[in-house]
Amino acid sequence: MRYPAVAIGAAGLVAWPWAAPPYFVFLASLVVVNAIVAIGLNLLSGYTNQLSFGHAGFLAVGAYTAAIVATRWPGVPVVVALLAAALGAALVGLLLGVPCLRLEGLYLAMATLAFGFVVVEAIVNLEWLTRGNDGLRVPTARLGPWALATDTARYYLAVLVGAAMVWAALNLVRTRTGRALLAIRESEIAAQASGVHLAKYKTLAFVISALYTGVAGGLFAFVVGFLSPDAFDVFLSVDFVAMIIVGGLGSVPGSVAGAAVLTVLNDSLAGFQNYRPLLFGALLIASMLFMPGGIASAVRRLKGG
Amino acid sequence: MTTAALVHVVVSGLATGSIYALMAISLVIIFNATRTLNFAQGEMLMVSTFVGFTVYARAKVPLVVVMLVAVVAAALLGWVIERAIIRHAIASTPFDVLIITLGLSLVLRSAAGLTWTHDEFPFPSFFGDRPITLGPVRLVPVSLGIIGASLGLMWGLWALFTHTRLGRAMRAVAQNQRAARLMGISVERVYSASWVLASVVGALAGVLIAPVIFLSSKMGLVAINGFIAAVLGGFGSMPGAVVGGMLLGVIENLAPLYLPSSIKHSVPFLVLIAILLIRPGGVLGRPARRKV
Repeated sequence: MRYPAVAIGAAGLVAWPWAAPPYFVFLASLVVVNAIVAIGLNLLSGYTNQLSFGHAGFLAVGAYTAAIVATRWPGVPVVVALLAAALGAALVGLLLGVPCLRLEGLYLAMATLAFGFVVVEAIVNLEWLTRGNDGLRVPTARLGPWALATDTARYYLAVLVGAAMVWAALNLVRTRTGRALLAIRESEIAAQASGVHLAKYKTLAFVISALYTGVAGGLFAFVVGFLSPDAFDVFLSVDFVAMIIVGGLGSVPGSVAGAAVLTVLNDSLAGFQNYRPLLFGALLIASMLFMPGGIASAVRRLKGG
Repeated sequence: MTTAALVHVVVSGLATGSIYALMAISLVIIFNATRTLNFAQGEMLMVSTFVGFTVYARAKVPLVVVMLVAVVAAALLGWVIERAIIRHAIASTPFDVLIITLGLSLVLRSAAGLTWTHDEFPFPSFFGDRPITLGPVRLVPVSLGIIGASLGLMWGLWALFTHTRLGRAMRAVAQNQRAARLMGISVERVYSASWVLASVVGALAGVLIAPVIFLSSKMGLVAINGFIAAVLGGFGSMPGAVVGGMLLGVIENLAPLYLPSSIKHSVPFLVLIAILLIRPGGVLGRPARRKV
């Protein structure tokens, strides 16, 4: 029963560039990028109950890693650049995650917030590497003999990578690891008593979350083509949190839905920049008060679950 | 560097530190009642200060009246937010309330930008600008005024928390809500009082700091340093908030003298990360114990 739905969805994704004007193809790529971040953040916040306000920092690490790799070694396959982005962000996630293990709740939220600020400051100041406030032009992504020079080509790249990430996440949450993460969310003490190694799984959640965000960062670099530090400010981190709140904590499809809703909303409000935070803030409050489980649980209720 | 210059730097550090301390106190007041961090604290400060400024710009009233207007506006804002929004989430987890206050901060900042634009406005100061000379040391009256006013306010809060029924009720709720309720304390009233009080303390801090950092929709960001100050002193503790605020103010002012200026903006965050790693309980704190 699920396969037809998946097949229709896949067909829709493949057909999108023929149906939609180029700008909407670009927008769809951004939705995919944000969806990958939202899944990564949800694995950390929704599954393990560790709130992060620093995911824009991981996104920046991934984006700059991919851009720098692609600049230093022209012609490197895009897959290698994305892998580098994933590993770079995962490494930073490990370095941040290990000390942050001792923190929980508010403290973790604040430490990650601080991390986000420090990353932006680092990008501004490491001019020899990142070109600072001037911004960094990202070379065209290459895959063997092909150059992914059009929005459509980059869209397919994003969709392929995104599909793989969704598939991996859906499987991850069903495994022993996924159940351990859920157990930590429900009660750390009970999880520990049932033999879940808290330190190990919390670090793992942090690293996986950073890895997802790093991949998204790499895609972001190639899709947008230009990086500057102010694109990765704390408000972007807040947007990511809003995506998983609106979409639904602890739900992979919810993350994708939240990312899609907020990315499209963000884009349609481009001409009304002053009203954007007003609407996003109201949306956050309203979801918390009236739709605590986000889109995911609303859909579940509609289906009569 | 000469001693006189060092004294100057330390005093202005203590002045910004006093503001951080007041922000930290407001955060701790709300944390103690609702067990959550109020992300909108800085924006509440900003909105109340703007209301006071509007009255000043229209009617040219004396500064004391401006301050009173800001305080009344803050009290009203705190009360409305608590009754209209936070109260409905009374059964939610602290995590949910945190997200709500995050949404509130976005809404308030954006609304302030729409009402008063995102420009910076010069705000009048209570204190003159003729430096006071003490031997070789020259001090700016604003710094001394901020420190003095903040210390006065802290003394008032201390009196409130130790000598009034409301203050004792608030401390009881902070210690154990259920026990407080069983003793006949209206926890709901304490919730309202906490939001009003925190908002008022914030407004006073706003009126004090606005002449120094300018009045703008972005000035709420000062609350982030309030969070850091509260953590530095041990989150949840009032004396800790004061010590943490002063310490952060001085560190922030001294650091650029010894460190490359490019990392100046990161100093509070590096302090935060360092304190969380070394002493998550804060400089005055004891290791936290958790009960099942």
